[in-house]
Amino acid sequence: MADRRRINGPVGATTPPIFDKPAKPAVAKTRDSIRKIFLKTGITPSASGSAYLELENPNPKRTGNTSLKLMHRSQRGKDAVTCETRAKGILAYTLETALRGAIIADRWPKSGVDIIVTVVEGDQDRDSPESQKDDEGWDMMNVLSGCITVASAAIADAGIDCVDTVAGGVAALVCKDNKTAPTIVMDPVVAEHGNILAACCVAYLPTRDEITNMWFKGQLPGADMIVYDKLMEKSLVACRCANRVIIQELNETVKKGQGIS
Amino acid sequence: MSSTSQHLLLSPAELAYLHGSLSLTTPGPIRPDGRAPAQFRPLTAETGILPGTNGSARICFADGTEAVVGVKAEVEKTPVSPYEFVASTEGRKDHSTSIPQKKKGRKSKKPTEDEETTMDVDDEDDDEEEAGDGSAAVEKVRGSPDWVELSVEIPGLRDDDSGTVFLTSMLTEALLADGEFVKKLWINRRFHWKLYLDIILISPPLSYPLPLLSLTTHLALLATRLPRLKSEADEDPMFDDDWAAATFLYPRQDTSSGKASNKSKQSSAAAAAAAPASRPPITLLVMAVGDNIIFDPSKEELAVADSAVAVSVAEGPSSESEPESDSIPATTTKRNLHLLSVRTIDPPSRLTPPGVPNSVNASAWGTMTAATPTTTTTPASANEGGAAKHPDARVTETEDVVGVWKAPRGGAKFAMLGAMVAKVLERGGVAEEVLDGLEGVDLG
Repeated sequence: MADRRRINGPVGATTPPIFDKPAKPAVAKTRDSIRKIFLKTGITPSASGSAYLELENPNPKRTGNTSLKLMHRSQRGKDAVTCETRAKGILAYTLETALRGAIIADRWPKSGVDIIVTVVEGDQDRDSPESQKDDEGWDMMNVLSGCITVASAAIADAGIDCVDTVAGGVAALVCKDNKTAPTIVMDPVVAEHGNILAACCVAYLPTRDEITNMWFKGQLPGADMIVYDKLMEKSLVACRCANRVIIQELNETVKKGQGIS
Repeated sequence: MSSTSQHLLLSPAELAYLHGSLSLTTPGPIRPDGRAPAQFRPLTAETGILPGTNGSARICFADGTEAVVGVKAEVEKTPVSPYEFVASTEGRKDHSTSIPQKKKGRKSKKPTEDEETTMDVDDEDDDEEEAGDGSAAVEKVRGSPDWVELSVEIPGLRDDDSGTVFLTSMLTEALLADGEFVKKLWINRRFHWKLYLDIILISPPLSYPLPLLSLTTHLALLATRLPRLKSEADEDPMFDDDWAAATFLYPRQDTSSGKASNKSKQSSAAAAAAAPASRPPITLLVMAVGDNIIFDPSKEELAVADSAVAVSVAEGPSSESEPESDSIPATTTKRNLHLLSVRTIDPPSRLTPPGVPNSVNASAWGTMTAATPTTTTTPASANEGGAAKHPDARVTETEDVVGVWKAPRGGAKFAMLGAMVAKVLERGGVAEEVLDGLEGVDLG
């Protein structure tokens, strides 16, 4: 017979363990470009199109994994492709807005696309849980831009007609401490930059030079519009960088397909 | 589906007509209800309609949409995080013994920044300066986004509907964006106010409800009063029973501004630390049709929008310590608007059905098979195999035909988005007009 004695928990309040701060990565972040992106399409055979994205990161890696299923829905009385993204509420809505602008809906009447994005790992710094409290919102922007890029690659992989491949990019106004003037960085890593004042996530169609989705939030010091415009420009540069990765990967996919047939 | 994309029964021809009249440039856009492009719908507003709340407001737009917001506050214990042991300044020696001590005397508010010791010294100097010039800065007023809970209810939509979730997140984001609002809820090191905002749309969503909900929330927050604090410092909070003595969450600046701010300085450090002129945010809906920027679109107008943006602004002096640049005449005008957040809204126009031009419509004697183009076709497209059959079909695919509706593709130009935001922030613009209007409402 197993031991059936009740084991009570501790009587008083307990505090979770506190870990020493890990040494800061020696990489001085004066990047003037985005982090390296690994992108691969066609990884889920059962889906019409799929893509996998991984970001270079000093600490963990963040990966978004999109699989995309194309199915016809005749019962839906709409003459347009509807993207239904099932992710965390707000993220899905924003992603949907970003993608809907790119898809040529009227060529696919009465059909729908299900886009399923699985965020395998976020950008959090797992070593220091204390830094994960308030920064959730900033992290979301990075995740969103990854989602946009990977979903766009998957849509292209599925062969859905698009006006252009959308790419996501983030720029942030970062301030190291209270003394120095804030600077604008592309593709910010929340764990690295001390204090993010404002950030901007943009979904961009490079060949059309159009923005399908924009999400800006934060607090801008001084003359609002000037800083705001600069922030936008930087995030567009980030989008262009991400788009180059998409184009390259799609080109490789096409080449591979030609080799087989 | 989202609340933006609720179906409006307009035919492609009607949509094309509406789009055409809204994108006129020479006399400006002609809106269905005859408003100017930057004119807001007339509204009626009142406050203090719910007796059981700390603050409440009701706004009714002329088109019949109506929203009620109630703000309730309760005192909540601030959980002591094991990671933030000593939050206040050096002068404070009474931390309880159970809180673990560390080598560094205090920690900065942002734990992510790994400060060198020299940096730490600098910061302490900074704090001493603060304490020197302002008596309110005895303790560091902090705030957490968890202290505000916001719920939106739209009739006919589920709580977890993406549209409702989006509205909630937009409104929350605007409220929390600058981090100043939650600091107002700070009572002392151990306690804070927890604010519950219940936002309810009473009428069916006849137009996109974001501006209405935002304005109502703004008004309710302006009318919100919290009981006057009688206890001092870190004692368990004790409040004045007299509701008449309760202080406004956002102290009024007119007439008794000096007095009010003085009083609040004594009563609660939170109110004193907050800028006296700051105001809750408002979120405005702006859309672009062609080259025209149109404010506060109705449902019909939104159905033909090329792009739509929700812009949140708040009024108040910059919380940054750096001086205002001379380029903006912020000191001369009375309002100092700040951009808090910008978000693209998915315009329902993308889901509208396209029209078919006569030239390719068989029932209108169009050329479905014969290659007799009635409209201009480029020779390049006519020579292509597939396109040679119906050249006009190719044209309608790629180009706009005048008078035939086609759902907008792509997004908005960078310059257009910038112009939309700039127009909101403009001096004497719509945001100021709306703020002025809401200022006039009697707060009871």
